[in-house]
Amino acid sequence: MKSVSHRKDLLSFDNMTREEALAILDTAKPFKDLFTRSVKKVPTLRGKTVLNLFYEPSTRTRTSFEIAAKRLSADVTNFAVSTSSVVKGESILDTIDTLQAMQVDYMIVRHGVSGVPEYIARHTKASVINAGDGHHAHPTQALLDAFTFREIYPDLQGKRIVVAGDILHSRVARSVFQLMHLLGVEVGTFGPATLIPPTIPDYVNVFTRFEEVLEFDPHVLYLLRLQLERQTANFFPSMREYHRVYGVTDERFRQIRERGMHIMHPGPVNRGVELVDDVMTYERTLINTQVENGIATRMAVLYHLTPEVKSRSHDTEETA
Amino acid sequence: MSARLFQNAHIVVPGQSDPQALDLRVVDGVIQAVAPGIAPEPGDERIDCRGGILLPALCDAHVHIREPGQEDAETIESGTEAAAAGGFSRILAMPNTDPPIDTGGMVGFIQSMADRRARIPVSVAGCLTKGREGAKLAEIADMAEQGAVMVTDCNHALQDAYVLRRALEYTRHFDMVVGVYPDTPALSKGGVMHEGAESFRLGLPGIPAMAEEIGIERDLRVAAAVGGRIHIQNVSTAEGVDSIRRWKARGVQVTAETTPHHLLLNHTQLGNYNTHFKMMPPLRTEADQQALLEGLLDGTLDMIATGHAPHTDFAKNLDFNHAPFGIIGLETALPALHTHLIQTGKLTWAQLCRLFSDAPRRLLNLAPIALEPGQPFEAALFDPAAENTITRAALKSRSFNTPWLNRTLHGRVTALYLPRDQ
Repeated sequence: MKSVSHRKDLLSFDNMTREEALAILDTAKPFKDLFTRSVKKVPTLRGKTVLNLFYEPSTRTRTSFEIAAKRLSADVTNFAVSTSSVVKGESILDTIDTLQAMQVDYMIVRHGVSGVPEYIARHTKASVINAGDGHHAHPTQALLDAFTFREIYPDLQGKRIVVAGDILHSRVARSVFQLMHLLGVEVGTFGPATLIPPTIPDYVNVFTRFEEVLEFDPHVLYLLRLQLERQTANFFPSMREYHRVYGVTDERFRQIRERGMHIMHPGPVNRGVELVDDVMTYERTLINTQVENGIATRMAVLYHLTPEVKSRSHDTEETA
Repeated sequence: MSARLFQNAHIVVPGQSDPQALDLRVVDGVIQAVAPGIAPEPGDERIDCRGGILLPALCDAHVHIREPGQEDAETIESGTEAAAAGGFSRILAMPNTDPPIDTGGMVGFIQSMADRRARIPVSVAGCLTKGREGAKLAEIADMAEQGAVMVTDCNHALQDAYVLRRALEYTRHFDMVVGVYPDTPALSKGGVMHEGAESFRLGLPGIPAMAEEIGIERDLRVAAAVGGRIHIQNVSTAEGVDSIRRWKARGVQVTAETTPHHLLLNHTQLGNYNTHFKMMPPLRTEADQQALLEGLLDGTLDMIATGHAPHTDFAKNLDFNHAPFGIIGLETALPALHTHLIQTGKLTWAQLCRLFSDAPRRLLNLAPIALEPGQPFEAALFDPAAENTITRAALKSRSFNTPWLNRTLHGRVTALYLPRDQ
């Protein structure tokens, strides 16, 4: 396995080529193969320090990164910060200066405000991985989704995906749109007009009725988690109506099965809102596979990045 | 008697759109002659302008001085030093200090502080409502007696049209301008940048252009009904310009301003969440920039004002959502407008002086400056050939929150002449 880039950070897909995205996805495969062995660990990041810097609570994503880093033999530390204390007096920069002094090699950053990982990346020599910022980007989620998609369809060129739900507030949607487009996938979207702004990228096909989604015939229907607070802000009148008009109902589930469509969801699922419960046990629902693939993909991302801190010994070390 | 002879100058004189190669002689602070090749008299102090432009000193009707309350961002000294360095001989200080300037006593305090410590004369604006809360009128007559020339709640747009109605009615007896920030808070709430493709890409909450247009429509409709002098601050959108154009055509007594940054920058330049590009209203689109310029040229918009809003590095180093709105502008305004509008032929020097000296002075009840015999000499000398890199070291302001930081603009103010100094 070769090291494929001198990229320091993974913040979004803004400056990524298709070749680079494919290289990361290709690297994830051998990492996943490791998981079937009794020893699931490789020495790639031995002696390196990975820091989980989560300004927003997220046990799932944080754990996924933690396991990924540990399977690469890195030392992992979790650093939980509450956003409110930051506003009160300690700036993010103060925190970063402190962490910089501790010689951290990788920082996994989640923050409720768009752009914070980018800001941190400019002020640290450590590699920064965006683990979700505001409504902006969640690149490792999109990579694990693409990895999962490719396990079923190795050549994604010309394949189709529809992302359904709250596009306006979704970093997942933005990253999935960008990466799928980069990989040659045709992209569609479906959801309430209040949550699909007219300013989305031109390459996204907007569907207003589920029948149009069926006509587009996507290989994957990707359901986004609906945040309950959107209802109080009048983006839609009720969960019941959302489910009936934009969710996977019993009837729609039947049509999805008939066509052999796959279902993805970044989790956690709101049962009875995005989808009916039966979808969870459908053989083409990939939700748990996504979680499993999250670890391998994040290992690949860690492997792919090159911190500016000290030596780059892992470039020459043999792995996997 | 002291006499000074300015030679080798290009002077912005009434009736000429471009600066003229003329000399200018000042005796005891009053212009005595403006003519080509004036012969020096014995005892004249001769000043070689080296081909620089001598223009009526500028006036900025929208400056946040920050004192009292946020002296770490700006003080009356540093703010007026910055103004002088930018070619301004007069500024209007906004009342959103801490505590706010919302009583006659506060206006008097600011005025006397400015008289003692400011580098240039300062006019004072008071709050429209007590505590800038938008609910109860501040004591406007008291503030007028202490010299306030405008009442405004700054960027707290009035939610309540009833309050605006009463304010416009009440101020009619005091020759007082009501300054309004054009916004509909219910539509702009939570936004941090212009709503559009860029805000989607960056994942930041947007402020739609309609929030400004609807705010202007409502405020001018009220003004049309009850009269009063209304001044629209910080116009940023094409729709806002259109709205003002319509109401002016219907005879409403309104003046309006826009800023150098809204003329010269747009929302695609936020780059990687650079908070030096975060301001209220936000940077808009290229089409809006064009509409603002057209509005200035056809008289829909009356003036340019910087909206100079200092913030400390600490505050601007917060994340994009939490960092405060606003940028400084006093020291970059003239070089930036010169670089991007005058040198490109989009604006003449005469137009710039109308928009950035005459009109704001009228707003503050001051006579416009004319560089002609018999007039007080109040002028800035501008070297258009100077390469002006906006560095922290060079800025007189205590704050450095400008989108032009470490960029190079063409031209620099090299001197400011005030009547009281002569």
